[in-house]
Formats: sequence, structure tokens, C-alpha cells
Amino acid sequence: MSADAVPPSAPAVPPSAPPAAAAEADGSLIRAEDLWRTYVMGAEEIHALRGVSFTIAPNEYVAVMGPSGSGKSTLMNLIGCLDTPSRGRYVLRGKVVSEMNDNELAAIRNREIGFVFQTFNLLPRATALHNVELPLVYAGIPKDERMERARRALAMVDLADRMTHKPNELSGGQRQRVAVARALVMGPAILLADEPTGNLDTVTGEEIMRLFEKLHAEGNTIILVTHEKDVADHAQRTIHIRDGKIESDEKRR
Amino acid sequence: MPFSEAARIAMSALRANKLRSFLTVLGILIGVSSVVAVVAITEGLDRYMANQVLSLGSRSFSVQKMPDIITSRAMWLEMQKRKDVILTDMDAVKAACDACGEVGALVQVTRTVKHGRAKQPDVQVMGITENFSRIGSVRDLISGRQLIADDVDTARPVAVIGADVMDAFFGETEPLGKTILLDNHEVRVVGVADRKGKIFGESQDNFVWLPITTWRKFYGTRRSIIIQAEARTMDLMDTAQDQARVVMRARHHLGFAKPDDFSIETGETVMDFWQSATRGIYVVTIVVTAMSLIIGGVVVMNIMLVSVTERIREIGVRKALGARRRDILRQFLVESVLLSALGGALGIVGATAFSMALAAVLGGIMSADFSAPVRLWAVSLALFVSSLVGLVAGIYPASRAASLDPVVALRNE
Repeated sequence: MSADAVPPSAPAVPPSAPPAAAAEADGSLIRAEDLWRTYVMGAEEIHALRGVSFTIAPNEYVAVMGPSGSGKSTLMNLIGCLDTPSRGRYVLRGKVVSEMNDNELAAIRNREIGFVFQTFNLLPRATALHNVELPLVYAGIPKDERMERARRALAMVDLADRMTHKPNELSGGQRQRVAVARALVMGPAILLADEPTGNLDTVTGEEIMRLFEKLHAEGNTIILVTHEKDVADHAQRTIHIRDGKIESDEKRR
Repeated sequence: MPFSEAARIAMSALRANKLRSFLTVLGILIGVSSVVAVVAITEGLDRYMANQVLSLGSRSFSVQKMPDIITSRAMWLEMQKRKDVILTDMDAVKAACDACGEVGALVQVTRTVKHGRAKQPDVQVMGITENFSRIGSVRDLISGRQLIADDVDTARPVAVIGADVMDAFFGETEPLGKTILLDNHEVRVVGVADRKGKIFGESQDNFVWLPITTWRKFYGTRRSIIIQAEARTMDLMDTAQDQARVVMRARHHLGFAKPDDFSIETGETVMDFWQSATRGIYVVTIVVTAMSLIIGGVVVMNIMLVSVTERIREIGVRKALGARRRDILRQFLVESVLLSALGGALGIVGATAFSMALAAVLGGIMSADFSAPVRLWAVSLALFVSSLVGLVAGIYPASRAASLDPVVALRNE
């Protein structure tokens, strides 16, 4: 895609915005305020997000739903700190992500975000253990501690006996569990899963969803991006996106 | 990310594409191995030359009409106009040079020598003073005796022969006391010199020594002689040459401004010439082979660009997991440097094999011991240069990888 990101055109932060510390004061883990994301395609400006605001509290289990082209993926990229908004303010665990540079974003992805992808995205030549170790490598953690923490994370997803296996020696469900272990190993603020069951059969998909429920019960905050109603039904709260805006935001239970 | 981690990733990436990695470094391999081999062989030749040439003796020098090294026909014609060096010059040098130990003379022609019906062509027939074999490197005999002062004083028809002459005429039979024929002059063999072998394929054993007086009876007195002198110590080498030069200039009545009209030669003269010639070969070869390193670098850069393109998604994943720009940059730079250094290392192995093979072949041709040592400095330089090539070739691909947008990279199929 040749789209160029438009830099924030104006200081979009409202003057009344609370200071960073206040984001925690109200008990929210994530605070998104009027997020815009604009791409320039030739002469045209395309608004993938048109003013999205929400907050997510610790230990919430949220599904983000929407048809393709709704801006769902763009929102996921912003939540995951892979991208910054063209306008608006995004605060994660008290840190203003929307004003961060490349290196700071890399650090926050490393520490606060645990990604789980539809296609697993494991390194094919590395063992399960080494895949899980990878975020710890980028965090600069010494070797011994890395091994210890990676082993614990794999044990948490019941793969203690598959540590030296490479991805092609594992089933789809096992691969996704390795990916979950990798996402959790740094103890992130949120687990961000993008269609985590999209490449799995129904039975294995259910198995992964049960794992998510267990992790939620253990206190993790989970954000699930999906277009499948069955998958979204596992969450306590569903945010529907359409045409770059929040269409609905429902809590159950 | 620590360096060891980057190196581990790079090794696994290179191992995953063994053939491609090997083909990629072929250019660097060939470049490095030719540089290292050329350096080794040139040094081997240098050493061989030094051994052979300086075996003339590092304290000895000669005063002669013509220089050892003549670089043009015009120069040769010019040198021909010089005065001959004559026996009385030798006596004058002997009298005036107190820094000299031995002072002797030799004069030579190349002739076919006969014994019965056997003929030996191209023999150096040398007329010498009795001290000749003591000047420079001592030439021992394997049998018989050296020429003595009395032989010279009385112009006795006796000879010491080289091993080639002995082989040609006598084989296993006793040569001492036998007669050989030099242009219808009979001389009696009194000694046989030990075998020296060949320098660049030219035998050092195809000669006959006569007393210089006998030689002059056979071949006349009009030929320029070569004065052979030896300084008493190494430190007196320059003094001895200067004293000889002063004597010769005085005898030739040369004014202040006039250059010498004779030549003083040492083993070093030949060595210097040889080294300046090989230095030229050195430089040219290294420049030419450096070209192949540049080509090698371009190939490495090309393959690194392919490698980055193939792994865009991996880069996206790494960035999502927290890799910073500099982590990705380092990963690909390390891979590129490692790849090239691997080529350099293989090149050293190739060079070692190549120079050993060539040393064996050259040694065979020159029928002499010849070694082409692969030097540590050449090895380190080869590794350094190939790593540098890898570094330079890797910068562009690596910075492209590092600046990828993670969102775009993750979407890549």
C-alpha cells in the first residue's frame, strides 16, 4: 500500500485534556480520545477513522467487530501502537502513545502489547522456546532469565513438552498457543488478538477461545478483533465499528 | 539486542540458504584467495631470491666494467665504451683497501668443453685467483683440492670442475687426474666442487675453474676482469666499497663531477632490482583483485536486498514484538558482514591450497625448495577487507529493512 500517513495537522489535544497521570486516576487502562487516521491516496484523502473515543478498564475482555473496510484494522494498529493517529490522543497505562517516536513505540509494543495474529507469525526456523524468547531479547533481558521466563510462559499454555519443536512440527492450535505464550511473556498491559481463530478449525478455535477465557480469569486484559459473531460472543463487551466510527458499544453480564 | 543474538540470527539465515550463501560469496572468495595467494607467492619468490642471490655473500662486492642490470640497448652500448677493468686495478684495490679482507679476480667465457668424444656445451670457463672460493660464500669441494697460489703463479694447466661437468664426462668414475680439453688446451682435473642446484632453471654447477694466469694464456689478456672483494666485517661494507671506488676513480682520472665509469655490485643490487620489480607486480595484482572484491560486494548487496524482501513479514513481526530500527539494522548488517567474512575465510583456505600447489609446481620447475607462506597479516587483512565489503554492501539493504513501516510489513504476504 502506497498510502502516506498524514502527520497530525494541528495540536488535536483539547486544552481541557487531563494530564497523563490522570488517565490512571479514572481507573482506565486505555483511553482513546477522538482518534482520526487519514491516508492520502494521490489527491484524495481517505479517513479510515473519523473520531473514535472509548476507554477500556483493566481486566476487561473486549471484542472489536466490523465488516472489512470499516476501519477495524486501522483501530487495531493504533491500539497496538504499530501506528499513531493523525489526530486525537491515545493513552495507554498512563502513557501518551499518540506523541511517541519510533523507538518509544517499539519499546511500548515490547512491554505493553501482546500480539496474537491470525497467521500466528512465528519464525519458522526457530524453536517454540526461541520464538517465545524473542520479545525478551528485544527488551535486553539476560539469557538465563529469558530462558526461565520463556519456559514458564510455554508451561502456562500447556506446551512445556513442545519447547524444542519448530513451528512446522506443531499443529495449528499448538502454534497459536506458542504465539499466545510469546504475547504474554513480557507481562503486557493488553493481549491484542487479531482474528486468532481465523486459520483454525472450529474445535481448535474453541480450544484457543477457552485459553483466552482462562487468561481473562487470571486478570489479563484482552482485546479481540474479529468479524465472527461466535468469537465476539466470548467477550464481555463488543465495540462495533462502521465507516470509521463506533456504531455501538455494548456490555453484557 | 546483543551482538551475539544478531550473529545467531544471521547464522541461521545463512544456513537456511546454504547454496545461495555460497554462490553469493564466490566473488569475495575468489578475490580474497587471489590476493592472499599472490602475496604468498611473491613473498616466497622474494625469499628464494634472497637465499640464492645473497648466497653470493653479504660481505662481498665486485668491481666490474658492466653493471649487473642493464635495462636498455642504449645503456648497454654506453657501458661498452667504459674502460676495461684490468689485473693491475685489482692489485691497486688490494693495496689501498684496508677495509677489505680478501681481494681477488675472475674472468670468464662460455665454451664447449670436451673429454675424449664427450662434449659439454655452455660451460662457464672461469679464470680465478686462488682466493676466489673463499670470497663471499665458501664453495667447498667434494673431492680433490682447491686451486692454490702456486697454480696461479706458475700458470699451471689444472682445473676444478663443477658437478655438471663431472656428470657429463666421468659419471661414476674417478675424475681426479683426468684430462679435459678447453679449445684444444689440455688441463688436468684436480678438484670437484659441491653441487649447488639451479637458480630459475639455470644450473650453478656447469663450470670449470682455471688459475687466472692459465686462463689468460688460453683466451688472451684483453678481456675485462671482475674484481671480487670482501669487507672484513659487515660494518665495513660501505667503507670497503668507498675505498675501492676511490682507487678506481683515481686510476681512471675521473674529475669530481664525473660519474663512475665502472660498476660496484653487491647481492643487494640484484635484490633491490628484484624487489622493485615484484613490488610493481604486487600493486597491480592487488588492484586487479580488488576489482573482484567490488564485484563481490555488489553481489552481496544484491542478495541482501533479496533477503530483506523475502523477510519483510519477519521484519514486521520483529517490530511488533518490540524490535527498534537499530535492532533490525544491526541484524542485517551482521548478516551481510558475516556472509562476506565467510567468503573471506573460505578465500584464505582456497589461497592456502592454491599457493601450496603453485609452490610445488614452481619448486619443480626451479628444482629447488620453494615455499609460499600464507602470512598472518595477509589473512587478517583479507578478513578485514571482506568484512568491510560486507559492511558497505549491507548498509543500504539493512537501512531499508530498518525503516519498514510495521503495519505495511505485517500485511506483506
